[in-house]
Amino acid sequence: MNRFRENALIGVSWACGLILSGIFFLLVAYLAHQGAGVIDVKLLFGETPPLQALLLQQRVFDGLFPAMVGTFLLVCLSIVLAVPLGVATGIYMAEYAGARVKNLFNLVFDVLAGIPSILVGLFGFALAIFLHKHFSNRIQPCLLISALALAFLVLPYIIRTTQAALEGIPGETRLTALALGATKPQNLFHVLIPQSLSGMLSGLILAIGRCAEDTAVIMLTGVVVTAGVPTSLLGPYEALPFYIYYISSQYAGPEELLRGYGASLILLLLCTMLFFAAFLIKKRLTYLALYRP
Amino acid sequence: MNDEQVKIKVTGLDFFYRDRRILTNLNVRFERNAITALVGPSGTGKSTFLYTLNRLWENIPDARMSGTVEMSLGGLWRDIYEGSYPVTELRRRVGLVFQTPNPLPMSIRKNVAFPLKLAGNRDRRLLQDRIEQALQMAYLWDEVKDRLDDDARTLSGGQQQRLCIARALVLEPEVLLMDEPTSSLDAAATEIIETLLVALKQRFTVLVVSHYLDQVRRVADCVVTFPDGAVVSNSSETR
Repeated sequence: MNRFRENALIGVSWACGLILSGIFFLLVAYLAHQGAGVIDVKLLFGETPPLQALLLQQRVFDGLFPAMVGTFLLVCLSIVLAVPLGVATGIYMAEYAGARVKNLFNLVFDVLAGIPSILVGLFGFALAIFLHKHFSNRIQPCLLISALALAFLVLPYIIRTTQAALEGIPGETRLTALALGATKPQNLFHVLIPQSLSGMLSGLILAIGRCAEDTAVIMLTGVVVTAGVPTSLLGPYEALPFYIYYISSQYAGPEELLRGYGASLILLLLCTMLFFAAFLIKKRLTYLALYRP
Repeated sequence: MNDEQVKIKVTGLDFFYRDRRILTNLNVRFERNAITALVGPSGTGKSTFLYTLNRLWENIPDARMSGTVEMSLGGLWRDIYEGSYPVTELRRRVGLVFQTPNPLPMSIRKNVAFPLKLAGNRDRRLLQDRIEQALQMAYLWDEVKDRLDDDARTLSGGQQQRLCIARALVLEPEVLLMDEPTSSLDAAATEIIETLLVALKQRFTVLVVSHYLDQVRRVADCVVTFPDGAVVSNSSETR
């Protein structure tokens, strides 16, 4: 009987894994099937000559190029804002915080991770209004405000994965460098952080994905349907997820809906590219920290 | 032993982990340029005791210690827990080799150079010389001299342990602490390390935790039993 149960459990586990990966491939295949056919130069650049669009000499009116640039800038900016703060907090939590502070902060970051993104968007919007009123009336919902709000949204992921990666290092590894005369910061920078980079990378990938897909936050903080390629941090911008949302709710005919699929596929490719970039950066950092002769 | 020969004096040492008492009123002295084996049943605080000699226990949460440890370092008697004596300096003079080989995930060369880099040594020529010297001392040079830039984790278990010994020796410490250095190794690798230990005592004061009585008989000049810290001389007749 026990033997039967064990086999059943193995079978069910296999089936779950298979179903999940099956769904993933189905999703990607469906997107590729629907979207691949519509992706062409015209979808990206409209009637504008591509070279001139790429050199920012002519504005693209009826293409996805500005939204791609917008999403790319938005993700990069949010990550640049969130990573230093998140990693530093994670290091503090894992290496320096006392038990009571740690318990309190753990709770705070869990709550932060659970906040619906629309509330973060609302907070960003309120911030924009506040700054507009009290600081400068040039400030309005814009790329910078969106990036700030998104950075806030993804901070808990980065903090958590950094902390978990550091705390997962075995006790003996922790003592290795210390026994050789390392100071605490030396141990941190020469041993602990280099060995946590893989863990940190998974947090970074989560954060990139979240920044790229989020629609609720940017809707309230500066994204618009047409703005062209963003020229200023303080101006409105276009973004792919918002375009997809807009098309799927407002499409006039099957052809326009297909453009939405095209945009989805492009968003997926853009994310893949960013993941890959993150992976390369991690590899480079590991090399610099551990293997450089 | 007379006072001239003493390298380390431990007086009234108590050690606690959480609420558990590990060591009680330990009083023991260690001879210089000799191998002292620490023996006793598991869980009697032998490894912990090594950690009190380089203050490594201070990095373990919930541990507590009282008593004094004095060492003759650089020809001068010092209380190693004295506030003015930097702990990093102490750990450079008192090397520790762990039970399981723990090379860092970097090249063989970088592993051995690591303590020197931590100490702020950047002179390439000097690093190169010291790396070779340490690897020679650990009987590893001939096996690795052509592959210094390979990842250290590609070495066998015995080679990794000798690498860790070389890494501890590269700082030219005065005391070498070893926590069951051969427990994860096969007979051939153990034999090399034992020969190495005997050679090292010319230059260093060696303390080695061991569970193997025949090993103790082969290499140790002196035996300290735990948990009470009683000293048994291991004179050549009994060897």
